[in-house]
Amino acid sequence: MSAFGTVLAQRMRRDRVQLAIWIACTALLGLVSASAIADTYGEESARAGLIALAVANPSILLLRGLPQGAGLGAFVFFQIFTYLALLAGLMSTFLAVRHSRAEEESGRAELIASTPAARAVPTIATLVHGAIANIVLGTAVAATFDFAGLPIGGAVVTGAAVAATGVAFLSVGLLAAQVMRTSRGANALAVACVCGAFLLRGIGDALGTPSADALSMSSSWLSWLSPIGWAQHVSGWGANDSSPLLISLALAVACTGAVIAIQRSRDTGASLLAGRSGPAEAGASLSGSLALGWRLQWPTITAWCVSGTVLGMLGGSLASVIVQATTASPDLRNTLSTLAPGGTGSITQILLAAMFGLVGVVAAACGTQTMIRMHQEEAAGTAELVLSTPVSRLRWLCDYLMLGVVSILLVLLSAAVAASIAVLAVGDDPGHISDAFAEAGAQLPAALVYLAFALVVFVALPAFVAPVCWAALGAGIFLGNFGGLIGVPRWARDLSPFAHTPVVIGASTEWSGAAAMLAVAAIATAVAVGATVRREPRGA
Amino acid sequence: MDATVVRTIALGKRFGRVNALTGLDLSVSAGEVHGFLGPNGSGKSTTIRILLGLARASGGEATVFGADPWRDAVALHRRIAYVPGDVNLWPNLSGGEAIDLISRLRGGTTDAAAYAARRRRLVDVFELDPRKRGRAYSKGNRQKVALIAALATPAELYILDEPTSGLDPLMETVFAHEVERIRGEGATVLLSSHILSEVEQLCDRVSIIRAGRTVDTGTLSELRHLTRTEVSFPVGEVSPEELVSLPGGRDSRVENGRVKFTIDSAETAVLLTAFGTLDVRGLVIAPPSLEELFLRHYGDDVTVRAAEETGGRRARQ
Repeated sequence: MSAFGTVLAQRMRRDRVQLAIWIACTALLGLVSASAIADTYGEESARAGLIALAVANPSILLLRGLPQGAGLGAFVFFQIFTYLALLAGLMSTFLAVRHSRAEEESGRAELIASTPAARAVPTIATLVHGAIANIVLGTAVAATFDFAGLPIGGAVVTGAAVAATGVAFLSVGLLAAQVMRTSRGANALAVACVCGAFLLRGIGDALGTPSADALSMSSSWLSWLSPIGWAQHVSGWGANDSSPLLISLALAVACTGAVIAIQRSRDTGASLLAGRSGPAEAGASLSGSLALGWRLQWPTITAWCVSGTVLGMLGGSLASVIVQATTASPDLRNTLSTLAPGGTGSITQILLAAMFGLVGVVAAACGTQTMIRMHQEEAAGTAELVLSTPVSRLRWLCDYLMLGVVSILLVLLSAAVAASIAVLAVGDDPGHISDAFAEAGAQLPAALVYLAFALVVFVALPAFVAPVCWAALGAGIFLGNFGGLIGVPRWARDLSPFAHTPVVIGASTEWSGAAAMLAVAAIATAVAVGATVRREPRGA
Repeated sequence: MDATVVRTIALGKRFGRVNALTGLDLSVSAGEVHGFLGPNGSGKSTTIRILLGLARASGGEATVFGADPWRDAVALHRRIAYVPGDVNLWPNLSGGEAIDLISRLRGGTTDAAAYAARRRRLVDVFELDPRKRGRAYSKGNRQKVALIAALATPAELYILDEPTSGLDPLMETVFAHEVERIRGEGATVLLSSHILSEVEQLCDRVSIIRAGRTVDTGTLSELRHLTRTEVSFPVGEVSPEELVSLPGGRDSRVENGRVKFTIDSAETAVLLTAFGTLDVRGLVIAPPSLEELFLRHYGDDVTVRAAEETGGRRARQ
């Protein structure tokens, strides 16, 4: 086999389980939502009602898509496509960084580069590998929509749009890997690009112009700056126009060209942003394992806080955009409550609840990542340096736990403060400031449950802490945020901590779920901390 | 007061179905530099991890300063400095930051001025650039960072796991000076290594381990008694009759133009007297090197080792 074939086969073999899970989950999300939407919104009038509501309240479009008519297929596309594209983007950027910068960082790339499979071969193999993965993903998405009974033409176009988005972000991921020096940095940059594209499209859609019949919308130019926006403009089961995907492919070609150009001129292991030398002596604050944890993780925690700030700002500012007319209609309000978690509150409260639901996810992810770092420190051998000094195993673990709690609080606080500033800035009712802080507080228990869960997994199964915790978070998001929409049974939805997050509606807020979750988190933490006393630190 | 700093008796450690240690005995007295010798994978690092309380023994007993290293880890760590065998640093901390952090965790920076002086001297003698980030250091430089961090704070016991495996010969000499210095200050050193010349130069006593078990322990001269001294001189300086008359010679052979044979180390004096009557100019009498001791433990029964490895494989299946 040629060097290229060997390298490609190695990538496929390494990713076979991980990619199978990504692709199966993405296709399953499409399948489950298509069949659930067919059940719940079988009537064209119901679909038209929901679209009318969304068009009148464009902030909803931020969390869905661009409505393109009330046909069943077009409605499914409106509800779910942007999430499929988001998943394809994340799958592709992680794939790109995993096989490029992460390999260079670990030194494995050097091993390969010293063989006849010289510098360009691994990059091209990654590109081909990622492209194949996205083609399989697109095919799986098309097949499941066809299986769900939607017309094949729209299914193919939708699958192609998902795949093209993935390929575009694959090249973005490879470029990020050239620019940044660490895989953590490259992943952060690439994920920020994917999430930024999702958000940009959302804002562009929300600022769009409704058609005369109020059943479809044309987006503003902002959406045309986002790869997810381009893909969305294929308008599956509507116009079925694949031409916007040419822009995605053009982006992929441009980024790949840049990648090859940069790679040709740089040393293996080096990056576009050169590493600076550090201080010869440590600052006075770097003096304990908690301080070390903060020093290692503050960039990540800051990134999560920025996400929280953006979501809080949107929650606080978009509420006032909502047209008052809809609040009068109880029917529409009921429909709206299927889009956002819960409740019988005012539209503003529902929107705040929807946005802070996402903030809760961000906070849980931030806490989870803090815990996963403990395993990474053990695996890298740097935990041993700390644990061979007078820092006890228990102390080390508790310092990380404290850092996890603090990071969650920081995310929630930054979201609440941002929402408050936004409420004041747009001149909305200042009463919503207390709503925002209450909503932020309401997200704390679910995030703490995830923190405690990650701690338990770290103590019991450290080698699997990353896949298990991220999978649990993904399952929780799916069940908690989509479960209601797509008709997952109540008991299954209740498995998600997010399903128990209180929705703040003034005095009638139900806090019992929060109390139960706090109790679960406290018990799990106590068990994990107790087990630590007997646990051997894992070596490098 | 018990002068034994480190003591293990029949120490055992299992990882799943693999026996990493099976009966490791080790005794390190206060104030000595103790060599801990064994080939790769023989259990040196596992033993050290148990002595530091980073792993728990599954059999036998281990004490450091008379205490259980697993239970009393924190109290013991106040008295111990450690250099890991495979030094990994935080990729985004500079070497200087890592040194200061470890020193602060060990509580060695309370006398700020004295610490700064010790640190400055060590950074100088080891020629380390403390501004580089952890990810930018070579293996040898990472090792220097760990060595400086260990040496910058005085300890009662230094546990050094193959501390020179990435250092160049110049830095090995610097390291040897530092070990002499801490020995002079009365500290105890446990030095694991497979570099025999280093152990010969530095250590008072050695323990040789193999496949998780102690096979020999003692001072170098004690161990040397277990093996034979080599005698050689140029061919033609001694007649065959005279050669036969020499006492105690065995394994005689001719190699590279020299007659070689071995004698019992205790017979050296007798042999020298015999040589006094002969006209020999290029005489070389070499005491057994640690290399030979080592080979005696690892080289002479290849068949046993092969059998053990097959057995090990079968056990894992």
